[in-house]
Parts: sequence; C-alpha cells; structure tokens
Amino acid sequence: MPVWHDVTRDLVAEGKLQLVGIIEEQHPDRCRLFMQWKQMDWPILVDPLNLLEVSVVPLALLIDEHGVVREVLRDPRSAVEKLTAQLDDPPPTATQPATTLHEASATLTRVSDALLLNQKPRFDDAIRLLDEALHKNGDEGLLHFARGVVLRMRYDSPKRQEGDFAAAVSGWQRALDLNPNQYVWRRRIQQYGPRLGKPYPFYDWVDQARRDVVARGQTPVALGVEPTGAELAGPVKEIAPAATQPTEPDPEGRISRDTTPLASAEITVVPPRVRPGQAARVHIVLRPNPRSGGHWNNEGEPLVVWINPPARWIMSQRRLSVPIPPAPISDEGRQVEFELRAPPDAPPGNVRLSGYALYGVCKADSGTCLYRRTDLVAEVKVAPAR
Amino acid sequence: MNRAHLFRPAICAALCALMFAGPAAGQSPLGRVAVGQPFPELRLARLADGQPASLADFRGRRVLLLVFASW
Repeated sequence: MPVWHDVTRDLVAEGKLQLVGIIEEQHPDRCRLFMQWKQMDWPILVDPLNLLEVSVVPLALLIDEHGVVREVLRDPRSAVEKLTAQLDDPPPTATQPATTLHEASATLTRVSDALLLNQKPRFDDAIRLLDEALHKNGDEGLLHFARGVVLRMRYDSPKRQEGDFAAAVSGWQRALDLNPNQYVWRRRIQQYGPRLGKPYPFYDWVDQARRDVVARGQTPVALGVEPTGAELAGPVKEIAPAATQPTEPDPEGRISRDTTPLASAEITVVPPRVRPGQAARVHIVLRPNPRSGGHWNNEGEPLVVWINPPARWIMSQRRLSVPIPPAPISDEGRQVEFELRAPPDAPPGNVRLSGYALYGVCKADSGTCLYRRTDLVAEVKVAPAR
Repeated sequence: MNRAHLFRPAICAALCALMFAGPAAGQSPLGRVAVGQPFPELRLARLADGQPASLADFRGRRVLLLVFASW
C-alpha cells in the first residue's frame, strides 16, 4: 500500500484524488500501527466480516465521482494517468444503487451493525443472527466465515467463553471447505495455523514498526491484541524433532491434580482437520479460574507443558514453558503453541493428543500457594488422503 | 522484510489467475464489487474512531480505494 501512497501523493495534495482503505483483517487496529509506521493518514474503513465478499487482497479500485467502480488497477506506477484521466459519464443505470441483497449478505450487514457500529459489541445478537441464517442455509460459506470472525472477536474480549477460539477455527474451516478459492478466508486459518502451511509470517513487521515509530519520537499505537506465536512465526519446510528431548517433568503423575480447579486450560487445534503428512498447530492457553479465586504464583517455577504426541506423529519439542512475569501474582492467560505432523500413512479418524501442565497457583481467600497439575487432552481429526 | 507495501507475488498470482480464468463456481474474486456498477452501499466503521462510515461519504470525489490487510 505504501507504493500506491507514494505514487498518488501529489494527486492527493492537489485535491484531485482521495485515497480510502478498507481493511479485511481480524484485528483491524493493527492497521493503525501500520499506517502510523508508514506515515499514511488516509481514511480507513474496517471490514473484518468481509461484507465486501472479496476473495483476494490487495485490490486497487478506481471509483469515479458518481461512486461507480471504473477499473481494477494493477500496476501502481502506470496507474497515475488512469487515476486522473477524463472519464466518460457512466450510463444512468450504473449510478442507481442496487436495492436488493441476497439473504446471506443481508444477514452479514445486520451482524456487522450489531458488532462494529456499537460502542459495546453485541456478540450474542451477532451469533444468534448467524445461527438463524445458517439454520436456513448451512452451506453458505460467508456465514460460517463470519461466525468464526465473531467468535474470535469474543475470544479476544472480556466476554470470552470457553471454546470460542476452537469454534471460530471450525467456522473458518467449514467456510473454506465450501469455497477453497477464498483467499481472505484461507489467510484467517493460516494466521493461526502451522508453519508448514504458511506463505509468510503475518505480523513480523510489528516490532520493526514500533522501533521506527519510537525512533521518530512518537508513541506507537497500542494494539488491542498482541500478535503471538503463529502470527509471528515464519514458514518452514519441515518439522524436525529436537535432537535430544528434555526430561519429562512428572512421568509418574505424582504432582497433585488441580481438582478445584484453580486454573483451567483451553486447547485449539488449527486446522481442526489434517490429511496424512500435514501438520496442525496446537494452541494451549491456561488461565486462573476467577470462580475459584485462583491467581498465578510467580514466585515459583515457570508454567511447564509436556506433550505426548500420538504414535509416529512428529513434533519439534515436547516440553514447553512460559516465563513468569515480575509481579508476585498475576491473572493473565499463559499460552504455548506447538506443531505436530501426521505420518504420511496416517489412517483417517480421530487421533488423541495428551499431555499435562504444571504450574504454581495461589488461592485468593487463604493466600495458600500450591503446585498443581492439569491433564490435557485434545483430538486431531485425520481426513483421508487425497 | 516488509512485504505489506508490495503486491505479494503469491496473492497477485492468485488474483490474476482468478481474474483471467474467470470466477470459480460462479463466485467473483471481487465479491460484491463489479466494474461499471456503483460501489456497494456498505455501512462500515472508521478505523480512526469507530464511527459509521461508507464510501458514499466521498461521493463527488475521485477515489482510489485500496482493499488490503496489514499482514
């Protein structure tokens, strides 16, 4: 986009052209940092639900003074003449706005109103609208994709419900199954998916952007949700198991189980279904349980996760840990991500992935701090080979 | 390396292939956008302040609309 910004700078300054952006992104606020970094200040509209229904980005569209789309522009450097050329008036029929939408598009408009045009997003209303529409037409990819977007939005909010992220991924996968040519939908899964399936790291520019903005004496735009794990990781061609595996921390299961529980785990597999030889990325988030008054105890050992992969599945490391923050106690979500690859001859069906997390927690009422274990179980679906 | 200021080759290849090969299964890569037709009337939120906005707000001006993502 900075290329378009640069080649049109004079036209914009002379009042001959208006630049406008539409962002097709789960977290549009990240674009605010991008715009600040690239010193671009044209208006941006956000479209995380893909109301526009485009299946590719980026797109550059020339729109005339009547609001009529005149051309899809491809080469920024040769487009300047087109941007300023005298255009014939559009035919009168072209200036009449469309008055009817197909049903799925109309539903998306109502969902968008409930979510984006309110100070407080009405997640429940948005999901109810989508569920009602999907009940009538379960094969509409637009609706499955949007349901995934809404659920991930709720997951990133204080209104989070257990299973929101996994359900979001399922929605995106269902949408993509219905229309595998939809690259905007595909990117949403890749954002959280395994490095084997990634075309590039999605948000590796964020750190550099912040450094450059600070070097200019400015404060970088704060992000609502920091990119983590898969969103920052670059692609790889192979998942190699570590040459030496670390020692299992509790092989005999002697650490007491967190039966209260003072903390709970949420596991999401992306994508939810793999074919033989393909990889999945597993996201495990552990959070203190507010109902039982649990807090992380940060004066002990770091949270450790140990994974037992299914037989013959490859994973790079089986022991993962999360560094502890400096405060004595805290309540944040603690996340680990790892990838595992199915054997090339994996039979179709569900495969069980097990493991456990070890962590220090304190009870708010008594101040008692404990070291506890939570067992982890997830299923990965294996689809038949193509 | 910042790739966001360039048309990424893979995406561009996909876009160009789709555009020149024609839409798959009756679906256009441009979605609700059609060359020669008014831009769809969408109520979206402004990134800057969350207020409702639409492309119609720029009627009377020639617009270069960039549809993109920061990834």
